[in-house]
Amino acid sequence: MTTDIVLQQLLNGLTLGSTYALIALGYTMVYGIIQLINFAHGDVYMIGAFVGLTMVVVFGINIWAALFVAMIACVLVAMTIERVAYRPLRRSTRLAPLISSIGVSIFLQTLMTSMKGPQPVGFPQVVSNTIYTIGPVKIALVQIIILLVAAALMIALQLIVKRSKIGKAMRATSEDYDTASLMGVNVNRVISFTFAIGAALAAAGGVLIGMYFNSVFPLMGVMAGLKAFCAAVVGGIGSIPGAVIGGLFIGVAEVFGVAMGLGSYKDAIAFALLILVLLIKPTGILGQPIQRKV
Amino acid sequence: MRRSKLLSMMILVLFVAAIFAGCGGGNQTPAPADETVKIGFLGAKTGGHASYGIETLKGMKMAADDVNAAGGILGGKKLVIVEEDHGSKDDQAASVTQKMITQGTVAIVGDPTTGFTKIAGPIAQGAGVVLMSAGAVGEGVVEIGDFIYRDTLLDKVGAPLVAKYLASELGWKKVVLVTSTNNDYSVGLSKLFRDGLAANNIEIIAEQTIQDSDQNFSAQVTSFSNKDFDGIVFTGYYTEGGLLMKEVRKQGLDHVMVGGDGLLAPVLWELGEDAVEGSMVYTGFAADPANASPKTLAFIDAYKAKNGGTLPDMFSAQGYDAVMLLVDAIEAAGSAAPAEFKETLKVTSNWEGVTGTISFGPDREPIKSPVYLLEVKDSEFSVKATIDL
Repeated sequence: MTTDIVLQQLLNGLTLGSTYALIALGYTMVYGIIQLINFAHGDVYMIGAFVGLTMVVVFGINIWAALFVAMIACVLVAMTIERVAYRPLRRSTRLAPLISSIGVSIFLQTLMTSMKGPQPVGFPQVVSNTIYTIGPVKIALVQIIILLVAAALMIALQLIVKRSKIGKAMRATSEDYDTASLMGVNVNRVISFTFAIGAALAAAGGVLIGMYFNSVFPLMGVMAGLKAFCAAVVGGIGSIPGAVIGGLFIGVAEVFGVAMGLGSYKDAIAFALLILVLLIKPTGILGQPIQRKV
Repeated sequence: MRRSKLLSMMILVLFVAAIFAGCGGGNQTPAPADETVKIGFLGAKTGGHASYGIETLKGMKMAADDVNAAGGILGGKKLVIVEEDHGSKDDQAASVTQKMITQGTVAIVGDPTTGFTKIAGPIAQGAGVVLMSAGAVGEGVVEIGDFIYRDTLLDKVGAPLVAKYLASELGWKKVVLVTSTNNDYSVGLSKLFRDGLAANNIEIIAEQTIQDSDQNFSAQVTSFSNKDFDGIVFTGYYTEGGLLMKEVRKQGLDHVMVGGDGLLAPVLWELGEDAVEGSMVYTGFAADPANASPKTLAFIDAYKAKNGGTLPDMFSAQGYDAVMLLVDAIEAAGSAAPAEFKETLKVTSNWEGVTGTISFGPDREPIKSPVYLLEVKDSEFSVKATIDL
């Protein structure tokens, strides 16, 4: 591989990785607050892609409005899921909401399959196929949009978590659920808000991927969700910057794996990395060492 | 006690009724066995494969009508098509085959798919009835036995011819070959293309692999984006074909794609949109009234007259040819005994049908000419060229 091809592949990897990162943030935030691995999260991403597609195709609105509507729709979906499938199980064993989330995941997949059919649906060409040349690298307009939107959303998330009052409440709930509750934090509202933010990011990821790959289908959330989950764990589950780093890392690794002729093992790369990271640094790249409370 | 007796009586009545209902399936008036020759239709009229089966049957019926209008078979006997429906269910395929054999069919045309042909094949072989599949392209079909035939274009005939066309007519010298590794059809076709391209001095400058249901082809396309080549040979299915070409355009390349009939579906341009314009697909038959032979044109016109102006597809044309091949073999043998006319069928050479010229090779596999090369133009397939053997 020559240098310009390496740079070009790096760009492909970062584009793919930034969408993984958007999904991974939802996993990591929910885990950080209620220690739940929300397996339905990948399917929320899929719903986001379908809502965006419907907005563009059926209602003919522009892509930015479609992105916004998809985010709002997924916020409502995720808050409903949290209220119906997780909140009643909050005080039961940790396994119960996990199983419940798998149930929700299968429900959403089959619902969309029965509505839209199993075949991929084409995503119309919403941005022009302009290609810019920057030094040795060619970058398509759609890649620029994906990278900028993903970066903007991640910065916004960081500001919400670090600067806003609800962000402070989230951090407090994450540190100690019961104490936060005793200090007057409305933990139900905080948890609901966390699901909402995660879903909005995933929905954005879904619409961006739809634009980039030009197709959406009901099972698209399965592999993307699993890889994003790996990204969250690789980066250190519970850590927001960790999820971003993990997502980019897995995206780049996958693209270079394919470029080196490991195309058949494309999906295995993320999981191999997961195993490797868990063996070397079990808490992930930016994970905090677990402290047992006495 | 009385109750259970009544129940068992009722069950008995139901059983008897079911047996009689089963007998009513063959819906033609029985004629003395020596005045008709029966050819069975094995295929689906309902279920997932119905579109193939219905078209095959349409072609078969047109062939039988033509034969009977011209005075029948073996000096005046009537040709009868015995039709059944296996409903796209493989357990039904076996029993339907059995049933047609007991009804005295000398040959069975069908099933259009490889899987069902492999189910019916051993039954027909065991009973000594000729089976002519009008659509199976997979491996291991005629290997079942010497009563089993097919009249489809095989990729081992098609791929080298397309390679020849790319080299001689389009002047291609360098290509990129893309294979879907979890798709047997694609892996097999890539093997045939590798040989065919090499034989025509076309160099494969890069090989890339994808998988069915992949969405992201950016890494593969980037790998060959800075190389100099004439086109892309992609051996997979239409979904990945459409998305692959989208990515090719996204990276600023203007090459076209060539592939087998795995690409032959409107999904190709539904997903690929403008990016698949100019892409080429080869197949065993396409209705092309402008360039058709008189025989093919007569078939196209007759089909259009019966079907409200729609053009016939590959399955109806192959169904028509399958019946005609069998009829000509029966006439040549002077007998409708399968053991006798299978010998005349075996030596069929340069036989003119509506899908082109068919010969059976020493391995009893069909060698067909021409190959139809289609091109995507304004989101439609149009015939770009017919390539003769």
